[in-house]
Amino acid sequence: MKCSACAFEAPIGKFRYLYNARIDSSITMRQCPQCEQWLAVDELLGEAKDVVNPGEAPWGKSAGIEGLAEDVQV
Amino acid sequence: MGQSTARTEKESSVEELKNRREWWFVAEKTRSKRLDYLRKGVWKKGAIGGNYAPGIKIDLTFPQLFIDKWQEHEGEAIMLQKAHALAHVLDNIPIFITDNSQIMGYIGSAPHNIVWHWQGISMVNEEIYNEEGIIPEPEEESLEILANLNDYWGGRTAVDKLARVLDPEDAVKFMSGAIGWGTPTSAATYSTKDFDYIFKGFEAILAEVEERMEETEEKLQGNPSPEILPLYDKLPRWEAMQIVLEAGIRYAERYARLARTLAEHFESDPERREELLRIAETCERVPAKPPRNLQESLQFDHFVQVLSRYETFEGAWPHRPDYIHGPYYDKDVNQDKRLSKEEALDLVGEHLIRTHEVGIFAPKWAREGLQGITGTWVWTMGGVKPDGSDACNDMTVAYMQAARLVRVSNPTFGFRWHPKVKDEVMRECFECIRHGLGYPSMRNDPVLVANTVHWYGHPVEEARTWVHQACMSPCPTTKYGCQPMRMASATANCAKMIEYALHDGYDPVVNMQMGPKTGDPREFKDFEDLFGAWVKQMEWLRNILVRTVNLGRVKDPEFFGRPFLSAIYERAVETGTDACDPSNGDRGNAWVTGFTWVENADSLAAIKKFVYDEKKYTMDEVLDALNANWVGYEEMRLDFVKNAPKWGNDDDYVDDLMVRCLREVSRHSKENRCPSNNTWPLLPENVSGNIHYANLVGALPNGRRLGDALYDGGISPGPGLDKKGPTAVLKSCGKFDHVTDGRAFLLNQRLSPTQLSGEKGYQLWKAYMKTWADLGLDHVQFNMVDDATLRAAQKDPEKYQEVIVRVAGYSAHFVDISRKTQDNIIQRTVQGLG
Amino acid sequence: MATCKDCKGFFAREDDQDRGDCVMRVTDPRQAYYKAVPVEADKDASKCSSFRKR
Ligand code: SF4
Ligand SMILES: [Zn+2]
Repeated sequence: MKCSACAFEAPIGKFRYLYNARIDSSITMRQCPQCEQWLAVDELLGEAKDVVNPGEAPWGKSAGIEGLAEDVQV
Repeated sequence: MGQSTARTEKESSVEELKNRREWWFVAEKTRSKRLDYLRKGVWKKGAIGGNYAPGIKIDLTFPQLFIDKWQEHEGEAIMLQKAHALAHVLDNIPIFITDNSQIMGYIGSAPHNIVWHWQGISMVNEEIYNEEGIIPEPEEESLEILANLNDYWGGRTAVDKLARVLDPEDAVKFMSGAIGWGTPTSAATYSTKDFDYIFKGFEAILAEVEERMEETEEKLQGNPSPEILPLYDKLPRWEAMQIVLEAGIRYAERYARLARTLAEHFESDPERREELLRIAETCERVPAKPPRNLQESLQFDHFVQVLSRYETFEGAWPHRPDYIHGPYYDKDVNQDKRLSKEEALDLVGEHLIRTHEVGIFAPKWAREGLQGITGTWVWTMGGVKPDGSDACNDMTVAYMQAARLVRVSNPTFGFRWHPKVKDEVMRECFECIRHGLGYPSMRNDPVLVANTVHWYGHPVEEARTWVHQACMSPCPTTKYGCQPMRMASATANCAKMIEYALHDGYDPVVNMQMGPKTGDPREFKDFEDLFGAWVKQMEWLRNILVRTVNLGRVKDPEFFGRPFLSAIYERAVETGTDACDPSNGDRGNAWVTGFTWVENADSLAAIKKFVYDEKKYTMDEVLDALNANWVGYEEMRLDFVKNAPKWGNDDDYVDDLMVRCLREVSRHSKENRCPSNNTWPLLPENVSGNIHYANLVGALPNGRRLGDALYDGGISPGPGLDKKGPTAVLKSCGKFDHVTDGRAFLLNQRLSPTQLSGEKGYQLWKAYMKTWADLGLDHVQFNMVDDATLRAAQKDPEKYQEVIVRVAGYSAHFVDISRKTQDNIIQRTVQGLG
Repeated sequence: MATCKDCKGFFAREDDQDRGDCVMRVTDPRQAYYKAVPVEADKDASKCSSFRKR
C-alpha cells in the first residue's frame, strides 16, 4: 500500500491500525510509519484513500434516519 | 429609557444566539455577574484526552500534613490513626475565599491544585513520576517529597494489603486489566449519605457518640464475660469519630474567621462586606448545628462532601440536592422572602461550580475510562417522597435552570421520572437536553423502585429515597440502605465472555488462560454447545470479580479505615463500627457493572445464523478470520456486520438471544452473594470503557477488530447499526423486564436539534418519552448536538471549548475526549422522532 | 528578630493571641482570592518573602 501523503510503500500491515469509526464501513484509519499521517484506508481494496485531518470523516454518516443531521456524505 | 433599550438589545441578541443554538453564549449573556466570574474562574480538573490541563498541580501540602501526624500515631487502631492525621490536615491546610463566592470549602490548598490520594495502590503511586506538568515547582524538591512518601507507603496501601490475602491466581487475573476495572477498596470509592441524619449537626452526633462511649465504659467496668470483649475495639473507633467531627467543625470555623477578617480589614464594598459576614455566620453555624436557611444547608452539604473527599477518593457523588435543600429554598424564597429567586439561583449555580471544581488525581487508565471528568458525579433530581407522592419542588427547577447558566460537565443530573411529574418540570428537563448538556438522564422511577425492592428487599418506603450511587445504580439513603463503599469494582469487561467462549477460555490479547476450558468451538455440535460455553465463561468472570470485591469489602475496615464516613453513618455511630463493616446492618446493594455487554448478543446472533442455521461459514473460517483480526477477510466481515441481525432493530432473532443472556445472568446474580448475603445483579453500562477496552478485546463475530471502539454501552445498539428508527430501539429494549432481568440498563440516543426545536420539538420528545415509559425502560439519555458542530469542534477545538456531549453515564466537554471517542459519538445514529 | 505578629498579614485569633492566620491576597490566571494559613505569632519572619511591616 502507498501512503497518500508521502508515497511511502509497504504491506498494509506495516501501517499501524488505529481504528474503524464505523463498523459497517470498510474504511479504517491507519497511520503511515514514515510520515505519521493518519490515512483513510479502504480495507477491501487495500488502498490508502486519503489523508485524514481533524474533523474529517471519510466513512460518512451513520444510516439511521437520513437528512436530519447535517453531515457530509461521502 | 436607555436601560430598557439596552435590555431589548440584549434580549434580541440572546434570541439570535438561541436560534443559532450557541448555548454557551446564551448562558454567558443571561447569567449574573457573580456566576459569570465564578464559572470562568474554575480551573479545569478533568483530563483532556488523558492529560491534565496546563497549570494544574498535585497538592503536596495535604500528604505532608497527613503523614506528619500519621507517623506520630503509628501503632494505634487504623481509624484512630487516620482521624488524628485528618484532623491535622483540616487544622492546617491553607484555605481560601474566592472573590464573589458564597459557598466555602475545597479539597486542596489552592484552586489550581488537585489532591492525590496515595493510600490506595502503590502501583498507581509509582506512576506519578511519569506525569508531565503536574509536579509543583520546584520540581526537584517535590520529587523528593513524592519519593519519600512512596518509600513509606510501598506495601502499606490498602490494595497492597489486600493483595497479600487474595488468592494468587485470582490476583494475577484481576490485575491483568483484561476483565475488570477498578480497585476493591474504599480508597477509591463512593458512598451514599443520609442527610436526614447528618443535618442533625455534628454536635448532636458528638453527643450520641459520647453517650455510647459512656455506656460502653460502664459495661467494661462490670462483670467480665465474652460479650464485653468486642467492646474494647469500639472505643478507639468512637474516639476517631469524635476527632474528625470536632476537626470538621474547626475547619468551618477557619472559614468563618477568614471571612470576618476580610470583612473587617480588607473589604471596602459594603455589599460584599455583608456577604462576608453572612459567610462567617454560616460557617459558625454549620456543620456544628442544623441548617436554618438555604445558604446554611448548601454550605453544610458542601462541607460534608469536602470532608469525605479529604478522607478518600470519592469518585462518584450520590446525592439528591433538590430533595435535601428544597424545604430551605421554600422557606427562604417563598415564605420568609429572605432571598429573591435570582439570589437563590446564584447560590444554586455556585453549588454546581464548587462541585465541578473538585479535582482528584487519577492514574492514566482511570482517566482513559472517564475521559474529561474527575468522576461520575450524577446528582439525582425529582422522584417521589417515601409516601409515593411527587417530590419535585422549586429546587428541582432551580438546579435545571442553574445548570443551563453555568454549563458544567460535572456534576450531571439523573431525573427520576414518574407519572405525576408536572409538565413544567418536564419542560425544564427538556430545556437542559435541548441546550446540549446531555443531561438529565431520564430514569423510570416506578420501575427502579420496584427493582430496588426486588433485588435486595429494601422496604418500598426506603427504596423511594433512592439516589444514583454512581452513574446508574439506585441506592436508598437510609440507615441500613446506604452503601458505604464502591462495590462496582466488580466491573466486568463482558465482551470477554464471548471471546473466551470462542477461545476455550484463553485470552488471545493478554496471552494467558483466563477462563475455564470450555472446549474447542470447532467441536461444538450446535449453537447450544456454544451458548453453554458462554454461560460458563460468564459465571467464571462474575465469580472472580465478585469474590475479590467481597473480600476487599470485608477487609476494608482493617486495611483502610473511614473515621469521617463512619461518623456520619448512623449505623456506624450506633454500633461503634467502621461504616464499611458489613456486619453493622448494611442490607446490601451490590451490582456488577457490565461494560461492553451488547457485543455478546450481536456476536452470538451472527454465529447462530451464519454457522449453525444457514451454514454459510464454518466455525473454522470464523475462528481463522478472528485470529487474523479480520485482515484479509473484509468481505466476510462486512457480511457479519450487515447481514447478521443486530440488537436494537426490533428483530426477535437477536433480541431473544439478548433476553436469554440476561436471564442466565439474573439466575447467577442470585447465586452470587455479597457480604450481607444479598444479590449481585448485572448493570450494563460503559463509562468510556468502550474506548479503554478497544485494545484489550480481540476481534469479535459482530465484525469488530482489535483496536476498534466497542459499542457505547449498556443496552445501546452499536453505533449506526440501529437502522429501524427510535421506536424499534425502544421495542428491542422493552423485550426484557427492567425489574427482574438486571439492575439498570443504560440507553444512549441521539436526537436532532433541528427537529426538536420549538414547542413542536418538546411535544415530539414528550410523546417519545411516553413510549419509553410504557415499554418499561428504566433509563435513556440524549445527545442533542448536530454532527456539523461536532466535526467543526474537531477541526477547531479552541473555538468549541464549551460544547458538551453525553459520553456514557456522564457528560464531558467534547474537546476533552480523544478522537476515537469523539468519532464513536458522531457515529451514533441520529434518531428522527414522530 | 521580626516575627509574624509584626507583619501586616498576621491576624491573631480572638481566643488565643499567640496564634493566628496569615492572610494573603492571591491573583492566579483565572481568579482572585484571599488565602489563610495558620501561623504562630512568634514565628520567625526573617525568611518570609511576603513579610510586610505593620
Ligand atoms: S508568614 Fe510571612 S506573610 Fe504570613 S504573617 Fe508571617 S511574616 Fe507575614
Ligand atoms: Zn506517509
